[in-house]
Amino acid sequence: MLLAAGAAAAQAQEGEWIGYRDAYRAMVVFEKYGKPKNLLQNHLQVMPREKGASAEGLQLTLSGKTIQLNLPLDATGRAVFPLLKAAYDENAALLLNRKAGLYAFRPRVSLALRADGVYEAPELRAGCEQALQYERDVDASLRTRKCVGVRFVFGRKGEPGVKLRRGEAEQQTLPAVEGAAFPGEPDEGFKTVGYRFAEGQDKGQVVTPNPPLAIAPLYD
Amino acid sequence: MDKLLALALTGACGMAAAQTPATNPMPDGSRDMYVGLGAVSAPRYEGGRERRTAALPVLQVEWSNGVFVSGMSAGMHLSAQPALEYGPLLGVLAGRDDAGSARGLGGIDSGVGMTALVPPLSIRTRYAATRLTGMDQIGYRLQAGGFFNVYLSPTVRLTNSLLYGSGHERNGLRWSVDLQRLALPLATHHALSLTAGLTLANGADSQSYFGVSSAEAAQSINPAYRAGGGLRDAHLGARWNWALAPAWMLTSTLKASRLLGSAKDSPLTERPTNVTVSTAIAYRF
Repeated sequence: MLLAAGAAAAQAQEGEWIGYRDAYRAMVVFEKYGKPKNLLQNHLQVMPREKGASAEGLQLTLSGKTIQLNLPLDATGRAVFPLLKAAYDENAALLLNRKAGLYAFRPRVSLALRADGVYEAPELRAGCEQALQYERDVDASLRTRKCVGVRFVFGRKGEPGVKLRRGEAEQQTLPAVEGAAFPGEPDEGFKTVGYRFAEGQDKGQVVTPNPPLAIAPLYD
Repeated sequence: MDKLLALALTGACGMAAAQTPATNPMPDGSRDMYVGLGAVSAPRYEGGRERRTAALPVLQVEWSNGVFVSGMSAGMHLSAQPALEYGPLLGVLAGRDDAGSARGLGGIDSGVGMTALVPPLSIRTRYAATRLTGMDQIGYRLQAGGFFNVYLSPTVRLTNSLLYGSGHERNGLRWSVDLQRLALPLATHHALSLTAGLTLANGADSQSYFGVSSAEAAQSINPAYRAGGGLRDAHLGARWNWALAPAWMLTSTLKASRLLGSAKDSPLTERPTNVTVSTAIAYRF
C-alpha cells in the first residue's frame, strides 16, 4: 500500500494537479445556486501564487482513465469547468504543465460579457449585487461588504478605450491602469479600467470597443 | 484554493432512496470514498495512564444524496445552503471493559464524527489489575442525534453534535461543540485543520464512564463515586492531510483532551489530560 502510494506521489510531483472531485465540489455550488445569477459566469481559475508567474503558456488538462480533455485557459487563467459524471466517477485529475507549488486553483465568479460591448450602468450594479449575494451565500464573512463598482480587465497590450456615455453629447474615456485582473491576485500586469457606482441612481452606459477579458465585481 | 480545500475534505455519504440535497456536491448517483489503514496510539481508556497502539482502519464515504459515513459515525446532510450543514447523525461508541476502551474506524474529516469503536485488528490481551478491574463492563452503544454546523467563513466552521444513547442504561447524552479552522495550507497538497472544543454530558453518561457504584466499589480498588453532568472535557485537535496523488492521501491526527468537572475528579481518572495520535494512508475510490 505504501509502495503504491509512493509511486503515485512521485508521478504526481512532476506537475501541479488537483483532484477533479475536489474541483467539482467547489464548482458545482454555483450551478446549484438558486438565486438570480443571470448576469454572472463562473470559471475554474488557475492563479499564480506569487508575482512573476503569468498564465501565459499554461495548459490545463482533465485526465482520467477514459477521459483526456484540454481545458483552454484565457489570459486571466480561467477555464470553463466541465461538470462530467464520468470524470467524477473515474476520480480524474486536473493537470497543469507547471511544477507543483506555483499555482493554486479556485472558483472565480465574474460578470458575464455582452456581445455588443455596451453595458448599462444599472445592469453593472445588478451584476455586482448578484455576485456579492452569491459570494455571501458561500462565505458568510462577506456579509458586511458592499458593491462599489466593477473592473474591466484587458490584455497587457493596447489601449482599452473604455468610454462612459451619459447621453449623446456627454462621453468620457475612463482611464486605464495596470493592475490585477481580480482583487488580491499577484499578477498586476493587466490593463484595467475601474467603474465606480454612483451614490444615487446609476445612469448611462459603459462602452467597450475592445472586448474585455473579464469584468470583476468590486466590494468594499 | 482555500475555498476548494475547505469544501473538498468535508466528509459525507448516503442511501439511494433519500432525497438529493440541493447542494449535492457530486453528480447524481456518484459517491466519494476513502478506505485506508494506519495506526493509533491512545490511552487505554479516557483518563487512563497506560497507552496502547492499535491498527486503525479508515473509512469515509459520501453519496450524492447527502448520506455519509465518517469513521464510526453516519448521517445525512439535509441543508440546501453552502454555509450550513445539519442533519441526523448516528454513532457507535466504544465499549469498555477491564482492558480499556475499544478502538475503531477513523475518518478523513473530523467534522461531525467520533472515531472510536471496535478493536478490529488488535489482539486482546489480559492486563494486570487496573482501576477498571471489577468495574461493570459497558458494551458498544449506538447513539442517535443530529449535527449542526455553521461556516463562519469558508475555512472557519462551528460544529455541534448531540448524541443520545451512551452509558450503562443507554440514556447518556453528549453535546460536543467545536470551532474548526479548516484547510490551513502548509504547502502544496498539505493542509492542516485545527479544532478546539468542549464536550458536555448528562449525569447518566458521566456516571456510566466516570462514576463508581457501591457494587463496583466493593469489587474494585475504587471508592464509590457519584459523577454528575456538565462539562466533560475540553479538547484541542489537529489534522494534517497530505494529498500524495489524486487517489492517495496520508491523514494524521493529534488530539489532546483534558477531562473536566466530575470526570476529572473520578477515581477512575489517573491522568486527566490524554493525548491521541494516529496516522493512516487512504485510497480514494
